This record gives sequence, structure tokens and C-alpha cells, in this order.
Amino acid sequence: MNSILQLFIRHGGLLTLLVVEVFCFYLISSYNSEQGEIASASWARYSGAVLNWKAGWEDYFYLRDENTRLRLENAKLQTELANTRLIEVPYRDTFLRKGQIDTLENKIIRPRYVLISARVVSNTISNRNNWMIINRGSEDGVQANTGVISRNGVVGVVRYVSDHYAVVMSVLHGQTKVSAALKKHEYFGPLIWDGENPEYMTLTDIPNHLQIQPGDSVQTSNYTLLFPEGHPIGWVDKAEPVQGSNFFKIQVRLSQNPANVRDVYVVTNRYAEQLDQLQQAVKDE
Amino acid sequence: MNSSIVLPNVWRFVGLVLIQVLILSEVSLTSDGYINVLLYPLFILLLPIETPTPVAVLLGFTIGLTVDIFFGTLGVNASAGALSGYARAVLLHRFAPKGGYTGKEVIPAPVYFGWRWFIGLAAAFYAIHIFWYFAMAYFTPLYIWSKVLPHTLAAWPLSMAVVVVLVRLFHPKV
Repeated sequence: MNSILQLFIRHGGLLTLLVVEVFCFYLISSYNSEQGEIASASWARYSGAVLNWKAGWEDYFYLRDENTRLRLENAKLQTELANTRLIEVPYRDTFLRKGQIDTLENKIIRPRYVLISARVVSNTISNRNNWMIINRGSEDGVQANTGVISRNGVVGVVRYVSDHYAVVMSVLHGQTKVSAALKKHEYFGPLIWDGENPEYMTLTDIPNHLQIQPGDSVQTSNYTLLFPEGHPIGWVDKAEPVQGSNFFKIQVRLSQNPANVRDVYVVTNRYAEQLDQLQQAVKDE
Repeated sequence: MNSSIVLPNVWRFVGLVLIQVLILSEVSLTSDGYINVLLYPLFILLLPIETPTPVAVLLGFTIGLTVDIFFGTLGVNASAGALSGYARAVLLHRFAPKGGYTGKEVIPAPVYFGWRWFIGLAAAFYAIHIFWYFAMAYFTPLYIWSKVLPHTLAAWPLSMAVVVVLVRLFHPKV
């Protein structure tokens, strides 16, 4: 206690002054009519600015909460965006009553995708086979074999899931195969990584009679079960015809650089299982 | 703190407030005129050199508030007095003689440090006090050039003259 007193005596002069002056300002503006009028006029005039300034600081302190809220909001909007590209069933189709009615388009829409926002907590790009870990797991609704996208492009595929984390096979992995299409021609083919430059992937099986220019957009195809269809992947960097075949080998520059991906969404296709079963049925015949 | 240090300060407090209120009020602090003499801050200036700063601030506030009660300007002199209590500590540090204060000098008076030193200190001290007094009296930056500074520049030499005369007459040592 004595040492606190000592400290106050040594450094408390300014503190005392500030406290006393605040009290004096109160006295002056409460008990002197002229100064009181000046004070209230000034307050009326500047309180807006002061309150604005205060609100600015509060915004700053709530940025973290705001960020979380925005991420959830983004997931919701991305879900809606993904679903709008989706199965649109004619309104009069009496066999499909489940779904939402889009009153503008007069159609029934069955939402196909659910997006869960997540953050990449671990990432590699320098190996032949690269993996990421995201901070969402089975308790958050993440399932294995679901796609992972970012706002700008595709990121990978969920492989293993724990309660609160999931391991994602990066697009920079020998086994990754993304069904990609050229936006302009709607031809599609598998997109793979040759293990060299982490900013580029290779698209094959595109017929070489097509006119393809560098800069053409590449997006997810309509046949993928992992990603929302029409989600951006990148742009054509160069297209070379493969000797002795009818196809191009197209180098695609990724719109989402895997090196600096941070905020991602796990895409769950609600009909993946059904579609998978149907495809299996055909295969077994 | 023994009574030989406290008592003279109590008398100075009472005496300076009485002079300010009874005599100087006839010419100053009452009208919008330019003849103002602020004498009471001399009490703050002549507090013992070893007075802790928070105590000086509170004593400055107290004498200012006392004067305010007589003049009906609650808070105006109190604010200037508190600031003076703090400014005094800063100025004493600035004006410290070579090798610092020895402890033999009880108060910052010309008896110990000479007239040149005292007038320099008092001039800086009074400039701060008087400026802040008028700043609080007009209470808006709009009047700084038209009112606050002219009044300060008028009251400053007048007050200094009265202070010098009084200190010369009483020759305070404690």
C-alpha cells in the first residue's frame, strides 16, 4: 500500500491534474451561465462527430465478431448462388412437389448444395501430393468425399474427417481429378496436376478442332458431384494439340492460388449419394 | 511537515485570498475591463519546493475554488489554480539550479535564488495561470485572438508588478 502511495506521489501529478480539471470543467459549465451555454451549444454541434468517432472505435473492436458473422453470411450466400445454377424443375411437374418455388422464374427449385465455411489451418504445396487441414469436422457437418472451394476457385476434396477437423486432398495431388469445362464451348475433361508449378493444372480431353484462346475461362463442369457446377477454376494459359490424337493439352492458370488459400467452403451435394448409386447401377450391368 | 512550514502557508493562503477578494476585486475579475490583477496564485508559487505535485495541484484547486466562491465563477479559478499547481512542478524542474535543490531552500523565493531567477520563474508561471484563467472565463477557442490573448497580455505585467512589490515588502523565507 505504501509503495502504491509512493508511486502515486511520484507520478500522480498529471493524473490528479486531469481528474481535477475534468471536475472543474463540470463546475464551469454547470454553474456559469455563459460558459454553460457555450458548452451545451458545442456539445450539440460536436456530439455527432464525437459519437461517430466512438462508433468507429467500437466497430474496430467488433471486427473479429463481424468477420465471423460475414463468413457465415458468405457461406449462406454462396450456397444460394450454387443452388441457383441448379436443377430447375418446371412448375407443372406434378411428380416433384418437394422444393422451393422461385416466384420470379415460376419454377420449383430443389436446393442441391449445402456450404459450410471453414478456415485452412495447415497447407502444403511443395510435395508431389499435397494436403490441407481445415478447422471444421464431422460435428460441423463435414463429410468425407465432398468438395472444397474458395470464393475464387476450387481447393480440394475432403478425405478424412475427425470431430473438429478435416483433411483435404489439395488440387495439387496426384490423385485429384476435377471435372472441368471451358465456359465458352461447354466441352469438358479431367483437370489434373502434373506436379510441377503449383499455380497451373492441366486440362485434357478437349477436342483440338475448337478455337481456344489464352484467357478463356475454365469452370467446373455440369457432371461433377463434388463442386457446384459453373464455379470458376482458372483461365487457359496455353493450349497445345497432342501429337497423334485429336485432343488438346491445355495448361490452366488457377484463379485460386493454392499457396495463399485461407477461407474456404466445404460443398455437400445433397444428391451425390443418389447419383452415385445410379451410376454404380449402370456400371454393374 | 512541522508547523513552522505549514503555518506560513496557511497565512499566505488567507492573506492572499483576502487581498484578492477585498481589495483587488474593486479593479479586477469583475468586469470585461483590461485591468486585472491575479495575486492569489502567488500562494501556489511559494509552496515549499518539496511539495509533491498532486498536493500542489489539489492546493491550487482549493485556493482557486475559494476565490471562485467569492466571485461567483465556480470552477474558473479552480481550473487555473490546479493547472498552475502542475505547471509549478514542471517549471521548478526546468529552473533547478546547477546540482539541483539542496534542501536548504524552503520555498522558491528571491531570498534563496536571487531576483533574476525568481522573476523568470514567476513570469512563466503567471503567463500560464493567467492564460488558462481567461481561456476558462471565455470558454471557447473562438475568442482566443479577440479576447483571451489580449486580456492575458494586459493582466500579466500588472499582476507581475504587484507580485514583485509584495515579495519585496514581505521577503518570505518559509
